[in-house]
Amino acid sequence: MMHAFPGRLLLLSLAIMTIVAPAAYGQRGGPPAGQGGGQGGRQAGPPPTPRAAALADLTGYWVSLVTEDWRYRQFTPPKGDYVSIPIGPAGRKIADAWDPAKDEAAGEQCKAYGAAGVMRMPTRLHITWQDDTTLKLEADAGTQTRTFYFGEPKSAGGDWQGVSSASWDYPRALFPIGFGRGPVAPPPGGSLKVVTTKLKPGYLRKNGVPYSANTVMTEYFDRFDVPGGDSLLVVSSEIVDPEYLATPYWTSTHFKRQADGSGWNPSACAAR
Amino acid sequence: MIMKQRAFVVLFLGTLGGTLLAQAPSTSRPAAPPVPAPAVDLTGYWTPPMHEDAMERGAGSEIADYGGFALNEAGRLWALSYDPSRVTLRHHQCDAYVTAYQMRATGNFRIWEERDPHNHRLVAIHVWGQTTEGHRTIWMDGRPHPPAWAPHTFRGFSTGRFVGNALLVSTTHIKQGWLRRNGTPESDQATVTEFFVRHGDHLTNTTVVTDPVFLSEPQVRSNDYSRVPVDHAAWLYACDDGEQILDRAPDFVPHYLFGKQPYAKEFAQKYKLPLAASVDGAPSMYPGYAATLRNVTDAAANAMFEPAAGKANEASKAVDPEPRDGEIHVLPIRENVYMLVGDNGNIVVQTGEQGVFVVDTGEGKLADKVIAAIRQLARKPIQFIANTSAHPEHVGGNAKISAAGADLSLPGSFFAGQGGTLGTLTGLFAQIGSTATMIAHNNVSVRMQAANSPANMIPPDTFLEDRRRKFYNGEAVEMFYQPNAVTDGDSIVHFRKADVIVAGDVFTTTRYPVIDPKNGGSVQGEIKALNDILNRTVFEHEEDGGTMIVPGHGYLSNEHEVLEYRDMVVIVRDRVKAMIDAGATLAQVRSARLTADYDTRYGANTGPWTTAMFVEAVYNTLKPAPTNRSR
Repeated sequence: MMHAFPGRLLLLSLAIMTIVAPAAYGQRGGPPAGQGGGQGGRQAGPPPTPRAAALADLTGYWVSLVTEDWRYRQFTPPKGDYVSIPIGPAGRKIADAWDPAKDEAAGEQCKAYGAAGVMRMPTRLHITWQDDTTLKLEADAGTQTRTFYFGEPKSAGGDWQGVSSASWDYPRALFPIGFGRGPVAPPPGGSLKVVTTKLKPGYLRKNGVPYSANTVMTEYFDRFDVPGGDSLLVVSSEIVDPEYLATPYWTSTHFKRQADGSGWNPSACAAR
Repeated sequence: MIMKQRAFVVLFLGTLGGTLLAQAPSTSRPAAPPVPAPAVDLTGYWTPPMHEDAMERGAGSEIADYGGFALNEAGRLWALSYDPSRVTLRHHQCDAYVTAYQMRATGNFRIWEERDPHNHRLVAIHVWGQTTEGHRTIWMDGRPHPPAWAPHTFRGFSTGRFVGNALLVSTTHIKQGWLRRNGTPESDQATVTEFFVRHGDHLTNTTVVTDPVFLSEPQVRSNDYSRVPVDHAAWLYACDDGEQILDRAPDFVPHYLFGKQPYAKEFAQKYKLPLAASVDGAPSMYPGYAATLRNVTDAAANAMFEPAAGKANEASKAVDPEPRDGEIHVLPIRENVYMLVGDNGNIVVQTGEQGVFVVDTGEGKLADKVIAAIRQLARKPIQFIANTSAHPEHVGGNAKISAAGADLSLPGSFFAGQGGTLGTLTGLFAQIGSTATMIAHNNVSVRMQAANSPANMIPPDTFLEDRRRKFYNGEAVEMFYQPNAVTDGDSIVHFRKADVIVAGDVFTTTRYPVIDPKNGGSVQGEIKALNDILNRTVFEHEEDGGTMIVPGHGYLSNEHEVLEYRDMVVIVRDRVKAMIDAGATLAQVRSARLTADYDTRYGANTGPWTTAMFVEAVYNTLKPAPTNRSR
């Protein structure tokens, strides 16, 4: 009997850790110091609101730095110029038939300002908390507003900005159990994850490179504070469109933090 | 068995205790030690999908497409002067990619961790870029960055730390290279801040390049990579240079004169963009830019392709590599050869069984500390001092340092016998061997005598022809005369076993060459001398490492720095010559700002060697001698 004891003890130990560790692991603190919004810490009572539990302060004014795909973003490229985009045959057919006059006539000048296109526009962003569970992102290019819902979305979608579900994201293990250091606490900080669906079909690029209503866009918003320099907002995005893209389309778009909204310059959508 | 039970009891209690402790309020915990483990795992194989700037990163970017780059005037002009054919030159053929471009370029990446085998703390994260075999080491162990006089490499020196869910990397000591493959430059003064963040199998690397020489504000770009589960199995990028275009003159460097780049406007014409758009620098990065171009006249756009008229020369924005702290700093180079920094001019010391061989002695203000530093390196006396020129920053310590040494080969020689006989009568050899022997080209001695330098500073052991050689401390040491380079007495010194070349003021990383026509210097001789160095160097890997070059002033280099410097002198020479051929006066040449793309790196408007003096020296040594019209 004696020889069975160690095995039982080990099992018991693992069982306790399995019960206790996720609880400890889930006791994630609030936002990093100086990154605003949250109250943090482990406190009794209900879990903190998404605003209070913010892993980074993304609020404020941001301006896009158009340093990549410059020609396609600062100017409207000619028809058929879809270099860099993994466009599929159906998408190519639509892009080759792009007619901005037709879009204007149909009142669809904002096709390039939908969620999958507007972040690549030369634009300023204004990010604010609409309430404790809703983050609002306004773009002055095309005067668009995206709404990120941490809870149940209050939008049916079908418009340019679709429906965006938000969550705070940080590196985590599937089985948070560990010997030695016990449950490994996740590092401070993290990303805003936004998944957008139910989009009205629009353009990835102003010259008519399309995305469909079946598009799923997953974005990660990260704030980076350059030591002794600017604060940057980097949006890493994956666009999956089974209709018009041959592969997922990956970009990362960066913005520089602005002291205030003095540069804010809302403009109307332009089809060309 | 009992021992085994006890072990499990300890394990049980320890595990339980550790688990519960992890839940305890943080205020009750002892201060945690620095976390040795990475916050996120970046290891694995990564492929860039290249869904941004695919042309630039794949086939290659178009000429004069600098849109979205915060190039200042110097950066813009440097880029416009660049001829892609420059990479056909032997020494440029294997140029590697600098850090920021490496992360942007095509090719796959492999990332792995290096851990201390004993305590498994994270020592470094290695990034291997397939293109040009770009191996980056990101030190995670808290070590400091090297001093300003340490060598630069294409990947630079990187340190990292985890900030939240991101790896923050700081890189310094980078060689001159590209921001974009069409000649958009990044200087050797650039520093890079990076953030690596991983979201599942999506890795994003954001680079922030700060370059006071070529950029008016930091250049931000972000790169994406997809994690792949298999080894790409193609990690090498062998490069060996060779003859690509024959029969070129050795002083030929492909470039375009200001305003003469024939393809500079093709990009705008091809894509029907306003002419100014892709050369406008930082404004082109921001929203609303396209609208602002409506107000740019054709004349204003055309003016961007040449140096701004009437503008004062810019001064260097480079870091001063001199420590200026009143101390001598020793930088081991290779084998038994060291660089001593601090007394204004660089000093090189070779040590060994026979004694100490010193090249140049600095300005002399810190000579006592130089001697003390040498004595820390070697017990044997300083036997030889070689001077690369008669410049005061290279001979200033001659008297003191030679007096601190001794040439013990002399007292026991034939000459000592003369000291015993003739010496008794003349006193000629009475002091023989009691100081180090000073060696230089004869013109150094002549120039110093003409300048009334004290006799104990003037090298007595001189040579007249092209080479002086010794086999010392088990190593061949050669001095090669460089006629009419910055003066008429310049030499370089090659330690052949250590493969270190001491260039003297023929090459510096701090200023335009101090070409002194009054003392026999000339721009053609300077170019020839720089080419002579390049003919003796061998790189170790992709234009990095290999033969090390000690500049007269500045940081320890290799052939790449000499190469860029040579290119600069040739290009400025060609511009001045073109104006002379067109009948320009010195005043016209000066006002043309022919060094506008190099001034933020090497320029000076005050001090002993200004940009204007350099341009004048080039002009005067190129200007044809006046013909005798008398009959």
